[in-house]
Amino acid sequence: MPARFPPRAPDPATAGIGLRTPHFEALAARTPPLSFLEVHSENYFAEGGPALAWLERFRADYAVSLHGVGLSLGSADPLDPRHLDRLAALAGRIEPALVSEHLCWSSIGGTHLGELLPLPYTEEALAHVCRRVTEVQERLRRPILVENVSAYVRFVSSTIPEGEFVAEVARRTGCGVLFDVNNAWVNAANHGTDPRAILDALEPASVGEIHLAGYEATRDGLVDTHGARVFPEVWALYEETLARLGQVPTLVEWDNDIPPLDVLLGEATLANAILASAGARSRAAA
Amino acid sequence: MTGTGALARLQAAFASAVTGGDEAAVAAQLAGDPALARRRLAIYREAIGANRRGALRSAYPVVARLVGEAFFDEAARRLADSAPPACADLNRYGDGFPAFLTTYPHAGQMPWLADVARLEWAWHEALSAADAPGIDFAALAAVPAEEEPALRFSLHPSVRLVSSAWPVLAIWEANQPERDGAPDRDEGADDVLLWREDGRVRMALLDPLDAAFVAAIGRGIPLEEAAGSEGWNFAPMLARLAEHGLLAGFAGPPSGG
Repeated sequence: MPARFPPRAPDPATAGIGLRTPHFEALAARTPPLSFLEVHSENYFAEGGPALAWLERFRADYAVSLHGVGLSLGSADPLDPRHLDRLAALAGRIEPALVSEHLCWSSIGGTHLGELLPLPYTEEALAHVCRRVTEVQERLRRPILVENVSAYVRFVSSTIPEGEFVAEVARRTGCGVLFDVNNAWVNAANHGTDPRAILDALEPASVGEIHLAGYEATRDGLVDTHGARVFPEVWALYEETLARLGQVPTLVEWDNDIPPLDVLLGEATLANAILASAGARSRAAA
Repeated sequence: MTGTGALARLQAAFASAVTGGDEAAVAAQLAGDPALARRRLAIYREAIGANRRGALRSAYPVVARLVGEAFFDEAARRLADSAPPACADLNRYGDGFPAFLTTYPHAGQMPWLADVARLEWAWHEALSAADAPGIDFAALAAVPAEEEPALRFSLHPSVRLVSSAWPVLAIWEANQPERDGAPDRDEGADDVLLWREDGRVRMALLDPLDAAFVAAIGRGIPLEEAAGSEGWNFAPMLARLAEHGLLAGFAGPPSGG
């Protein structure tokens, strides 16, 4: 099929934002400079209607990233063929620059739980996830990115550190990694581990995207709500991440209690400043 | 089919624990302080319940307003227990809610509730139905007059028809955010036509003959037969369908091409 849109790739020097319905009008009216827009793929699985029409309109101006929340890469169930079909159809329609999913599971026995649930980091789970990432990549005919998730519980059966699990999926399948800095921070805080451990394990070249978001502190730990500004300690970890990786396309996510567009653009501007200093450092080192 | 390995067993136990079932099986597999791990498990349970309630509430805002929060949340919980989401796209979740309400004992005092829910689901479906180009009016105008009675039309994929013994459209309209909830009419029956036009769902109350005509056209019945009763003039309704983009295409009689 001939391309319908200009090819666009995220600019690694500037951040992008998650595209949410309340911002459609303001974003279309202003078209601010953004590296890319990211959507939850499943929100555009309809066959037609206004949401898809909006996304096509934005795709004319921006690179788009399709970020899945429901493929259930780690589920012991077979992959849902209807879900894969819809994702492939959406990718064909939107021509995204990036396609990503989570290293988690969300369905079992034909029932969808609609949450990003943690995997046991075992050899069985690793081999299973790798087979499925390969299946998805073959179906979409492109590499995907897989994201480290926040996990409020851990399993006694886990034998592989999370970072090594993520890195090994990338190594075995050729997929990239979407490194979520906030998730790394949330997990470290909740389980008393080192937030840099995942980063230590990853192949720098495998990281194709970075996520930033806000969490909520509760009496039972940090909850990854995507409903607040990025916290200072997460900004610091992001800075450290870029110091190691150089500039990587970065996305600010905000999915709950969605603020006015300017608040989100303000967060993207903060990320831009950190991206700029990472770029300057790389140039100085070159 | 779900596998039989340790991963499958863990996921089945986890799923049961976070949807109201027994926690013991998964609790034994959680690392760290057991009491804290159980409270952390509750974060997932609450999020799953909230997602399902939220999806149902966004598809059924009028039902939610009519019954109030406590009733709606309890109905949502029972629906999720009896028919949990079978698909990752929560926009498709809730198609069974109208049927659930017809047998839900607590809805017995509101016999119109299930029909209001049917109207809302039709609205929800109409919003995300497939797009379709409009009918080719030039080709339609070129059809010889003698072939017109045998024309079969197809309707835009967004078109829905909801018939109820109750004044469901008046109830729906009265329960939009800017209204006070008091319907303009207290008697039905209502035949409501829904369709998407310019990216928005529109609704219109039809008289029974118009509704029967649209339903017949939608089943692919030829024009003359769809018009039904002797002497009834279908032309205004057909023109209305055409004007608002509800006709997606047509086919002539087999011989006429």
